[in-house]
Amino acid sequence: MLKYTARRFLEMIFTLFIIATGTFFLLAAVPGDALAERAEHLPEKVRVNLYARYGLDKPVMERYFITMNGMLHGNFGESVIFEGETVSDIVKTKGPVSARLGIQQMALGITLGLALGIVAAMKKGTWVDYSIVCLSILLISIPHLIFGILLQRVFAGELHWFPTIGWPKGDLWEVWFGGWKYTILPTLTGCFVYIANYARLLKTSMLDVMNQEYILTAESKGLSKWQVMRRHILRNSFIPVVTNLPMSIAMCITGSYFIEKIFAIPGFGKYYVEAIGGRDVCIVMGQTVITAAIYIAVVFLTDILYTLVDPRIRIRGGKK
Amino acid sequence: MDKLLEVKDLKVSYHTYAGEVQSVRGVSFDVNEGEAVAIVGESGCGKSVTSKSIMGLIKTPPGEIKKGSEILYKGRNILDFTQKEWSEYRGNEVSIIFQDALASLNPTMTVGKQIVENLMMHRSMSKKEAFEEAVRLLKLVGIPNAEERVNQYPHEYSGGMRQRAMIAIAYACQPNLLIADEPTTALDVTIQAQIMDLIKDLQKKMNTAVILITHDLGVVANIASRIVVMYSGKIVERGFRDDIFYRPKHPYTCALLKAVPRLDLSNKQKLASIEGTPPDLISPPKGCPFCTRCEYCMDICCEQAPMTTHFEDGHEAACWLHHPLAPKDNLPFKTEECK
Repeated sequence: MLKYTARRFLEMIFTLFIIATGTFFLLAAVPGDALAERAEHLPEKVRVNLYARYGLDKPVMERYFITMNGMLHGNFGESVIFEGETVSDIVKTKGPVSARLGIQQMALGITLGLALGIVAAMKKGTWVDYSIVCLSILLISIPHLIFGILLQRVFAGELHWFPTIGWPKGDLWEVWFGGWKYTILPTLTGCFVYIANYARLLKTSMLDVMNQEYILTAESKGLSKWQVMRRHILRNSFIPVVTNLPMSIAMCITGSYFIEKIFAIPGFGKYYVEAIGGRDVCIVMGQTVITAAIYIAVVFLTDILYTLVDPRIRIRGGKK
Repeated sequence: MDKLLEVKDLKVSYHTYAGEVQSVRGVSFDVNEGEAVAIVGESGCGKSVTSKSIMGLIKTPPGEIKKGSEILYKGRNILDFTQKEWSEYRGNEVSIIFQDALASLNPTMTVGKQIVENLMMHRSMSKKEAFEEAVRLLKLVGIPNAEERVNQYPHEYSGGMRQRAMIAIAYACQPNLLIADEPTTALDVTIQAQIMDLIKDLQKKMNTAVILITHDLGVVANIASRIVVMYSGKIVERGFRDDIFYRPKHPYTCALLKAVPRLDLSNKQKLASIEGTPPDLISPPKGCPFCTRCEYCMDICCEQAPMTTHFEDGHEAACWLHHPLAPKDNLPFKTEECK
């Protein structure tokens, strides 16, 4: 197990190196740079100085080594388009905002989705099942910015239950646990897609398991419907759900551009999208590498989780 | 001997998009206490559906057990059982083992837990007692290192051991009736013999009645005292083992017997097979279902379903050849023993 973990860790470093290199050269290959627009009408001397300030005057390979060296020391560099901000600043201040929103959306969405999936599978072929299927198709096909605006209009604009926009500010406690009235609408907006995905995923998986012969064996022991469900169907149906989790977790932490925009939430999403548009190499690099690191870490955790859910999968080198 | 189970005029249909498939079309037979009965027939003849009906495992819909069908267990019609009565009956009074033991065992649950589950359902046992009993059962069915094996998962067992584990689950509560639905089909020949010996052994030891479902007459020769031959949802012939093996009265049974590989025949002889396929049960033929494949088919066979002819010792066959007016030469069996 220790050997396995160590190997996975080395693989993770290598993967991150490839991702960082790839991202850097792809960005370098795109015409234009972060300063192009701003420096266009500046006098020659000022422009040269400006380029020198951000190190953009150096050749590509040199910049690559500077960036990589900085990242090794945990320094991703300073933003060009958001003046004076570094990647670590952004992660420290915006990270918790996006993470809280994402975690809330995911927790609510996946819980509801799984519950609906179970109900749909148990009531297969009835109107309950059809309504859940229709609902999830609806939820998945309508873009969430439309839901966001609708929710704002109904619950904030007309009923005045919640504020239209905004996000809890203040100390760490406030940022993570305060101001629930602000977080409810964006959470709802973002959770629909999870509801739809997980309801469908679990339903399909459960129907598959219900057709397995070992369910007949379980029934032939005289177990009640609920005992069969709890002990035999659910656990086996959760295997595909576990496969899908890392994707969701990695996505939820990196934030959603649209939802953050609609609700004026000071999260990651805005920086990511604008940094790409502005060729802001250090921000893009920083965010890509951090997202990739989270993703790889979550995948690793999932592999461990797998062995708990499915005993057929055992990690090599571990106990038999 | 008392009758343990009596199936009377069982009719089961499945509703599909193509139409109603009449899988079982009026089957009647009985099983005495401690007796082994074999139901023999080729794929799709309704033998598995019959066994699932006895366990109450027919899903409705798409399945449907027709009105007028009766399955009497110790005199009570199980088709009228309530949920609670089913729970007490399944696994406790009657249990079943399936063809593919790997598919029939829950892959994410240890074998021990799957046995314990059955014990705790029907016996008031503590978890510890149930686990000890599970180890004892695994030893009983011949699994070595049972103390260790009890905590392993089905994928850690070999094919034969999985079927042994299935038998341990089925025998956990000492049922009165065991249904073995093609228990050896997925196993190789040497293991087949071992599993059949085990079933036979347990049947004798615990006086359990066994319904053995198979398509292989060779498998039943050793264990069943009576044999029921099914074809396309109907019983075509039934009788004691020796009657079926040595004095078959239905051309289908004769053909089946010819299709069993034998050691005493010369190598050059080709193994017989039955040409054609069984009829489509969405629109079953009005005459004898075997008529299109039968060497001895007469005009009436395709027009009218044959009546059942009774011979001595409960031996009976549904075939027009036993009619007094039917030709008597070149037949695979003698007809004059007709009563």
